[in-house]
Amino acid sequence: MGMLMVALKMLTGDKVKYFGLIFGIAFATLLMTQQMSIFIGLLTWGANPVLDVREAQVWVMDPRVKQPDQGQPISDQMLYRIRSVDGVEWAVPYLRTAANLKTADGGLAAVTLIGVDNQSMIGLPLANRAEAMQAIRGRNAVVLDKNTLGLVFPDGREPIGATAEINDNRVVVRGLTQSLTNFSGLPTAYMKYSDAIAITPPERNKLSFVLAHAVDGVSPQELARRITETTGLKAQVREDFAAAGTQFIIENTGIPISFGAAIGLGVLVAIIITALTLAMFIQENLKNLGALKAIGVTNGQVLSMVVFQSLYVGFLGYGLGIGGTAFFLYLGQSTPALMGFKMLWQVIAGSATLIATIVIGSALVSVRRVLVMDPAVVFRG
Amino acid sequence: MEFPNGSERIRVLHGVDLDIGYGALSMLVGPSGCGKTTMLSILSGTLRATSGSVEVMGQRLDKMSDSARVKFRRRSIGFIFQQYNLIPTLSAAENAAMPLIADGVAWGQATKRAADLLAQLGLGAHTNRLPRQLSGGQQQRVAIARALVHAPALVVCDEPTAALDAEAGQAVMGLLDDASADPHRAVLVVTHDDRIFSFADRIVRMEDGRVIGEGHPTSNGESRS
Repeated sequence: MGMLMVALKMLTGDKVKYFGLIFGIAFATLLMTQQMSIFIGLLTWGANPVLDVREAQVWVMDPRVKQPDQGQPISDQMLYRIRSVDGVEWAVPYLRTAANLKTADGGLAAVTLIGVDNQSMIGLPLANRAEAMQAIRGRNAVVLDKNTLGLVFPDGREPIGATAEINDNRVVVRGLTQSLTNFSGLPTAYMKYSDAIAITPPERNKLSFVLAHAVDGVSPQELARRITETTGLKAQVREDFAAAGTQFIIENTGIPISFGAAIGLGVLVAIIITALTLAMFIQENLKNLGALKAIGVTNGQVLSMVVFQSLYVGFLGYGLGIGGTAFFLYLGQSTPALMGFKMLWQVIAGSATLIATIVIGSALVSVRRVLVMDPAVVFRG
Repeated sequence: MEFPNGSERIRVLHGVDLDIGYGALSMLVGPSGCGKTTMLSILSGTLRATSGSVEVMGQRLDKMSDSARVKFRRRSIGFIFQQYNLIPTLSAAENAAMPLIADGVAWGQATKRAADLLAQLGLGAHTNRLPRQLSGGQQQRVAIARALVHAPALVVCDEPTAALDAEAGQAVMGLLDDASADPHRAVLVVTHDDRIFSFADRIVRMEDGRVIGEGHPTSNGESRS
């Protein structure tokens, strides 16, 4: 313990290197964890349209559809065929399409229009569910997502009772709900299914998805298989279709590369700052460490000292960096663009492991010179 | 003692026979490159001789393992270096306590013993000062305290006065002389500073890796064979 105290005093006595190490590691940690958290949050946005529909166990769609925002309607008749599949407890229609919303004062906003089943209202988010269900029953009633209200009514006016047009059809805002943030960032407007399909452009087919639930004793995977076998449509369990939304972002956007680059930069910064500064620290203390070896400090003690110094600054720097990221994400909770981003325990554990590996690795590389140093060198001036 | 030099080997010490006794201050003197520092390194266990036997306080250093030699140095030998080699971020007491701390003595106990010793050496008011806040002579006294704090039987000093002015050097040698009066301790000083020869009980002259003469200093500081 005494030699660890010596190590600590050697480290903290050199304030430039001490604080340089701490803030370098803090910055690298902040960069890595913040970027990783935002990256995971963005990927989650790809899955949110599916995750927001809590009750549906199986999503049924055109076989060519790859992700929730991809529009390829199917025939309305498919709803009845799916309901007739053995193992289906219920199946409801679900419309998800792009639309234009024009406010009374001429403002225009692109929105995602969602049509939920008239009777069950399955498809409405959980937030304010009862109020939203009541509000949506009115004719041409629309319920808006309050997270993105600012995009529809930028002047901050009271939205309840406001009239608007969706696809040139008059609608009235009757309530608010709160959706999970989606990748497009567009406001979401909820209507009864019958009202929604009435105001979408005329097409042969308008049904986007069928949401299904299995009876007790039948697994969602088995139900999906039966639906596909019976109807020829693509049926995916909720989790798989949500993952498909994430996978679409990974495969079709530059997000993984740009965030990967930022995270890689953070790793590089951590390695360079830690390794270089520790190497400089050892070099400047080489004579003193040689003297310590001469008077009888063992190589094991020297190794413990240097590893302890590394872990000490690593711990402090990591704590600062993680705190910075947590604070950033906390501040972002009230911002729609950053809502839903959080630091997963896997990010914390992974970055902690990475930082620990970097600081210990740097220590072992730096200390090697001292370990092989002949203690008699201290006599050679 | 031989050192490698490319594909060749350079013999630094040639068949040296040397006895260092307790209760005396012995000096190894000679021109630069004569092998006195190498001799000091071998006797202090920081360098392993390539041939011959090295017995210090009844222990055969040449037959010890590396870890045993480290332990032997820590407990039985005190070191004083030419450049002091104090840790700049530790106080005088903490520097002086280093051999005890390295041997596992509790921090508080070790620094207390070191502070007491520093007081005996006239540095009682400076125990909490950092090396940069001390003069050269004071730093060397801290180094002396570090060399004596664990009551070693052998104290080896490599050019202890080289970085000091005459007055400081005399003061430092006075302390080493006092330390050598202990009948259970030997002090060995390597130097080519003839201002301090008068402190030696015995002077051993070396040249080209050989002992060429031994004797006691005369009243004017020269060696008598």
